[in-house]
Amino acid sequence: MPVLSAQALSVVRSRQQVLKDVSFSIPQGEVHALLGGNGAGKSTTLLTFLGFLAPASGSVHVQGRDVHENLAAARRAIAYLPESATLYGHLSAYENLRYFLSLAGTDTDRDELDAALDRVALQPEARGMRMQTYSKGMRQKVAIALAILRDTPILLLDEPTSGLDPVAIDEFNRLARDLAEAGRTILLVTHDVYGACHVADRIDLLQSGVLVGAFDRPPGMDRIDTEAVHAAFAKHAAA
Amino acid sequence: MTMNRILAIAREEIRLRLRSRLALYTLLIFAVLLTATSIATALRMSEEHRERSEQQALAEETFLSQPDRHPHRMVHYGHYVFRASPPLAMIDPCVDAVTGQSMFLEGHRQNTAMFADARASADLGGFEGLTAALVYQLFVPLLLIALGHGLIIREREENTLAPLLAQGVTGIELYAGKWIALAGVALVLLLPLALVSAAAVAAGGSMPASAGIIGLYALYLLVWCGLILLVSALVRLRAPSLGVLVLLWLGTALIVPRMAVESASAVLPIPGKLTTDLRMQEELREVGDGHNAAAPQYRQLRANLLAQYEVERVEDLPVNFRGVVAESAEADLTEVMNKHAEERMALEARQARFAETFGWLSPVVAVAAGSRALSGTDLATHHRFLREAEEVRFDFVQGLNRVHVEQLAYSVDMNRSIDAESERRTRMSAENWNVLDEFSFRPAAAGERLARAGAPLAMLFAWFGLLTAGGVHAARKMRP
Amino acid sequence: MTGLIREIRFLSSDRAALLWLGIAVLVAALSVVMGLRETASQRAVLSELIEFDRAERAVVGELYRDWGDAAYYTFHLTYDSPSDFAFAALGQRDTSPWKHSIRALALEGQIYETDAENPVLALTGRFDFAFAANLLAPLLLILLLHDLRSRERTAGRFELLSATAAVRGSPWFARAVLRVGALTLCLIAPLWVGGLLAGTGASDLALASLIVALHLGFWWGVCAIADRFGWSSPVNLTVLIGAWLALAVIVPAAIKLSVEAAVPLPDGGDILLTQREAVNDAWDLPKSETMEPFIERHPEWADYTEVSQPFEWKWYYAFQQVGDQTVEPLSDAYREGRIERDRLAGTLAWLSPPALAERALQAIAGTGMAASLAYEQRVRDFHAELRAYYYPRLFRDETVSDASLAQRPEFGVDGALPPHPHR
Repeated sequence: MPVLSAQALSVVRSRQQVLKDVSFSIPQGEVHALLGGNGAGKSTTLLTFLGFLAPASGSVHVQGRDVHENLAAARRAIAYLPESATLYGHLSAYENLRYFLSLAGTDTDRDELDAALDRVALQPEARGMRMQTYSKGMRQKVAIALAILRDTPILLLDEPTSGLDPVAIDEFNRLARDLAEAGRTILLVTHDVYGACHVADRIDLLQSGVLVGAFDRPPGMDRIDTEAVHAAFAKHAAA
Repeated sequence: MTMNRILAIAREEIRLRLRSRLALYTLLIFAVLLTATSIATALRMSEEHRERSEQQALAEETFLSQPDRHPHRMVHYGHYVFRASPPLAMIDPCVDAVTGQSMFLEGHRQNTAMFADARASADLGGFEGLTAALVYQLFVPLLLIALGHGLIIREREENTLAPLLAQGVTGIELYAGKWIALAGVALVLLLPLALVSAAAVAAGGSMPASAGIIGLYALYLLVWCGLILLVSALVRLRAPSLGVLVLLWLGTALIVPRMAVESASAVLPIPGKLTTDLRMQEELREVGDGHNAAAPQYRQLRANLLAQYEVERVEDLPVNFRGVVAESAEADLTEVMNKHAEERMALEARQARFAETFGWLSPVVAVAAGSRALSGTDLATHHRFLREAEEVRFDFVQGLNRVHVEQLAYSVDMNRSIDAESERRTRMSAENWNVLDEFSFRPAAAGERLARAGAPLAMLFAWFGLLTAGGVHAARKMRP
Repeated sequence: MTGLIREIRFLSSDRAALLWLGIAVLVAALSVVMGLRETASQRAVLSELIEFDRAERAVVGELYRDWGDAAYYTFHLTYDSPSDFAFAALGQRDTSPWKHSIRALALEGQIYETDAENPVLALTGRFDFAFAANLLAPLLLILLLHDLRSRERTAGRFELLSATAAVRGSPWFARAVLRVGALTLCLIAPLWVGGLLAGTGASDLALASLIVALHLGFWWGVCAIADRFGWSSPVNLTVLIGAWLALAVIVPAAIKLSVEAAVPLPDGGDILLTQREAVNDAWDLPKSETMEPFIERHPEWADYTEVSQPFEWKWYYAFQQVGDQTVEPLSDAYREGRIERDRLAGTLAWLSPPALAERALQAIAGTGMAASLAYEQRVRDFHAELRAYYYPRLFRDETVSDASLAQRPEFGVDGALPPHPHR
């Protein structure tokens, strides 16, 4: 049974059809990337899985259950990282994490927080400072740490690497793969072809709300062929 | 070039406002509110003016048409005066609602005004007595805040400030353009006020005072424009800017005026009229009871009179000694009463002035003080009414006492209670009742009212100057 | 519970919210202090007046040894002491009289006098707790709640917060509850301190607190409705302040106008003129024309109506009474009109929660229009007692004695008219 699946999903936002007949499914322990340009419908897909948007037709399922019939269960299973996540500027990284984790109903001690922040490589001296002093990349790292700490079977990540420097992007890719190998299912959306090829088991190419291509990581290879994806992306973007 | 640019900015701003439906609806609602309250206030006040003038005429007619009587009976019959509200009360009825509108004048007593509207109206706690003046003073600033809090912030949020400044538009030009746009809206909102003022002038109101009121409110709204724009220039985000402005409004429009009242009554307490009256009783007893000519207080008076007319007995005096006593007692007691009344009015005036100084803290206090001074509905006008009424009272009472002294023989007077016939002989001709002066209350002349509005106007000018200086400073330092 | 603790911690680091709450405490505390000061000064005025009045009556009692003169020259203080909750809602006490000095002459000529305070001050209104809680607090609540969601939307945190919350709607509800609760506490705490100082009963304080909480609850509802539309914070705030303006200012003003149009009152001037004419015309009428209507009201004096002199005190007081009787229809209409206006205003106040809350607090404090009318009625009752005291003495032509004077009714004494009538 796939952990996440969309079946013939269509979504209409302010009278515009943003997703049209999109279907895919993600088995447990896989990293799945939705790749597309601006306005392709990537974030819409994530918001539909979270139940913020309702399908005009078709359905989305989390762990085999329809999201819109089991909203609370779906959200409990998912950790979500919004695009350019802004946590509270007047709180420190620790305080923000504690606040959001308590909101999610989990209790976390300082060591666990530090362990997660270590995994995203946030420098220890910054962790107690108010986040309004952080750079964009540092904020993103805290947000990723939050998604990890939620300890949910599913991660939905919206542009997780935006604002990160190349070293940090590599670290993130490694982290995502580790999490997948530990059994977590990850759906991330991005417009970064190179990053997607390195991290994903499968890439779905989304263009103007329609799936226009799919690329699987060949068995035994450590990444998807960047050239092929790039060519397909460019071709559909031009069309 | 600069002026053109400023006007272009202002024009753009107004066009944008007109496109925003929220702004347009708010503006429309306020226009309706202003017009409705202006018309309602104007109608009510002109109706009251008519009514009270009629009642005044009726009271005078009734007094004059009284039959022949003992003159002292007319002293107790008394007279009523009604305070007809001045034409400009159409704009700002102010104290009119709280002070009584009519007053009973009689011998030996100074009564208080009766029938204050506030005592008979529906009680809904706070702002139910909404008048045009109150809408201008308290609520138009809220509208200006809603329309103006984002004037400069919008340029920041939409990232248009940097390109504008990069194009060579100076901070001052931008600030001036926005100011003109907001001030333009404020001045348009003065239209209902101008119409009511015109109606008041047509009803006999003073032209300079009406012009003064329009000027006062224009200045007041410009003070708010300056404040709003300054906050919009200094605060970088829209939401906090609105919060700060609402807080400032809360403080200046709702809190400071009432704090002024509380401090004035705490710092300068005034004993109530009852307390004053009771304290006065002792002094009044020293003056003596004018009804009792045999009282020891009048021995000296009798001796003087007897000496003056070189007679032995009061019966032989060419004047009625009882009348002389009544006249002299009334004069003495009026002196005592006036002394206390003047003390009380002086205290009230000091209280009012003390409360008015809070205008340095809140333009709302300043504009309210200026508005009631110019409309002729302030405390000074109320005191003027009290003094004029007292003058009427004293004059007719003493006029009647004169009749008592000169026309009613002492012997006839002394025998008044023997039988009906003796009583009938004490009645004096009704022609004597025309000692009553016609009373028609008018507020002070426009010049005097303008002078009284001087201090509040100075406060508003100071506010205006300060905010403009602050604005210029902020505009010079404007960075994207 | 953990959610609440989490949000308390969160609130305690939200500087804007703390500012609004701080202002609420300050405003409420100031209003309580001001109210306590005002009621203390009213009490001081009254106790001084009561002393003065007693001393004055003693002096006058010595001066006049004739019941007619004694009744004519003796004034009697009546008063309405502030209740132990009046500090919180001064209500009508700054425009309507709470002290009145009357004598046994025609009452209608005396009862409408106002010993009001400085009109300029009365006009602005007092800074009492009711003002802080009913008019200022809704604005502070609006400031606290208007950007609860819209701020998170603007910052892009809305979906994250909602997706993270284990319980649906969890942070929003907890945050709103906390803010409404904190604001209520900030208002009520000073009230309770003031109540303890003033010796207010706990049940009154609890009732007042409930009113404040319910009123704020209403505004919470308004904010929650506005929240549904998903506007930006400034639009939200503008709309909510518009709602405040409508409910706290425009609706009460409209209610006042319609109540006054629906229940017309006889003109005060007419009451005065009619009364005076009736009293003064009597001098020129045959005595029987005064005594007949008087006897209708007081048949017990039918055997004493013989007036032989041009002036007799009993006749004088009889025409004073007849003057009141003549104007009775107008005066009753005036009083009933005011009662009806107050009743109608009370019903229509349901359209304006701030007005409703104000009236409710005034009702607890005994400072509303109803209490003011009740005081007027007590003055009338006392005046009737005075007449009942003087009439036998005047009609039987008794001589003044100290023993008899000692029986003269005194306002607020002898149990008949308690000074605290409100509850």
